[in-house]
Amino acid sequence: MPDALSIRGLTKRYDDGRGDGRWFRLRRRGEPGTTGFLAVRDFDLEIEAGSFFGLLGPNGAGKTTIISAVCNLIRVTAGEIAIFGEPHDALAARRIVGLAEQDVNLDRFLDVEETLLYHGGYFGMSRAEARRRAGEMMDVFDLRAKAGVRAPKLSGGMRRRLLLARALMHEPRLVILDEPTAGVDFELRLELWRYIRRLHDQGTTILLTTHYLEEADELCEEIALIRDGRLIARDTADGLRNLYGADSLADAYVRAMGSLS
Amino acid sequence: MSTARAGLLDRHRGLVALCARESDRVLKLWSQTIVAPVLASFLFIVVFGLSLGGRIRGIGGVDYEVFIVPGLIAMAMAQAAYANNSSSVFQARSDRYINDVLSAPMRPWEVNLGLAFGGVVRALAIGVALLALAVPVTGVPVREPLVLFVATVSLLVLFASLGVVVGVYAETWDQHGFVNNIVILPLSFLGGVFYSVELLPSPWHEVSHVNPIFFLINAMRYGFLGTSDVPIGLALGVTAALALACVAWSAAMFRSGRRLKA
Repeated sequence: MPDALSIRGLTKRYDDGRGDGRWFRLRRRGEPGTTGFLAVRDFDLEIEAGSFFGLLGPNGAGKTTIISAVCNLIRVTAGEIAIFGEPHDALAARRIVGLAEQDVNLDRFLDVEETLLYHGGYFGMSRAEARRRAGEMMDVFDLRAKAGVRAPKLSGGMRRRLLLARALMHEPRLVILDEPTAGVDFELRLELWRYIRRLHDQGTTILLTTHYLEEADELCEEIALIRDGRLIARDTADGLRNLYGADSLADAYVRAMGSLS
Repeated sequence: MSTARAGLLDRHRGLVALCARESDRVLKLWSQTIVAPVLASFLFIVVFGLSLGGRIRGIGGVDYEVFIVPGLIAMAMAQAAYANNSSSVFQARSDRYINDVLSAPMRPWEVNLGLAFGGVVRALAIGVALLALAVPVTGVPVREPLVLFVATVSLLVLFASLGVVVGVYAETWDQHGFVNNIVILPLSFLGGVFYSVELLPSPWHEVSHVNPIFFLINAMRYGFLGTSDVPIGLALGVTAALALACVAWSAAMFRSGRRLKA
């Protein structure tokens, strides 16, 4: 079976002269891809199908850039990305990836049920299929009572649940969770952990980024440490502790990041 | 539903869902998206047409209150198609929920078409409502339905696409409003909504022919009244060419991902 995710030579340079986010600006001179901020450079990563993989690194390390590249949310400067053997921009590949982003980016005009139904539609589900699955997701994430409430009126915890429910709505084989428990209380965090574990037990591949090292230690079978857009280590939590001669993953992380500064 | 149609819908479920979402947004905000512009344009017809129109002699043999109806409908529809799409796309980018669509298994043209659909629905709803109000009040006829159809399609394509393009380019709400307030609205007023440019002295008569909305208003007016300040072929041709240019711009943007994706 092909890897769930294969990234080869991924490079992303922002503001590279191919559309720099400014209003009415003349194209800047210079070779495309040679100016601007280099967020990720020549990055390789393979994630085996069915694994629970953690991506750790400080803010600005390139985690979200890598995830955005996988999910076709940015234009990559160079490199190749495959999802279960399919190019990441192919429709077949997009259909089997679910993303819960770090920021709560819910459609303000839709209520909970509509958020799930429209997402199902975007990902090719029939109306009946989407209705069944939306009901299931609302039950699993305890959102049923809020079915008719619009996203901006939900509490922070409810929004986080909805974000996760939306990512899982179309039953993806690769689920990418970008700091899914950021800002949620301890109880909800444990609840989300339980659900994510169950999902993994059912065979779903999970790529998790988090700043909570105990979360990575608890959940991930394998962890990659990245900094400045580069992979600096990859192993199990125990392997990383051994590699850096540390007692905890937190110590290993601090040593790994410190070794480059 | 025929098997072929069902198969087509199954292949484009993402597009269908996005069209439904954009229409849903228009209908949920109906008082703001439909009622307000219909009321504003209808007041123009009542105030300028019925109240003041009695003191203005007809233009080209047409009563003044009838003469202004096609331009007012065109202006209301153009503004609605543009404003709806530019605000919807800008909001989706600003709140980043557009990522849900950009990551979905949809082709670039499907995303483009889906995002443009809301403006078309809104503009058509306004156009039909205004027509329903204007016909009994002013007795405006529809003399050339085929021309009206082509002109309406061109208007919808032009301004729905322009709205999507500006929604993708805009960095602030001001920029989204700029095109409406500083470009579309003045050009509509100067394009002969309330008068025939034939009545203008030189050089304003000639200058009016540089205004692209002048051709659109005349195409719509020909559809309703059968009269136009320019040959109808030219009016339709200029409008259709502008619509095609906007669609091409929008399509290129979605195909390359430029501006939509960092």
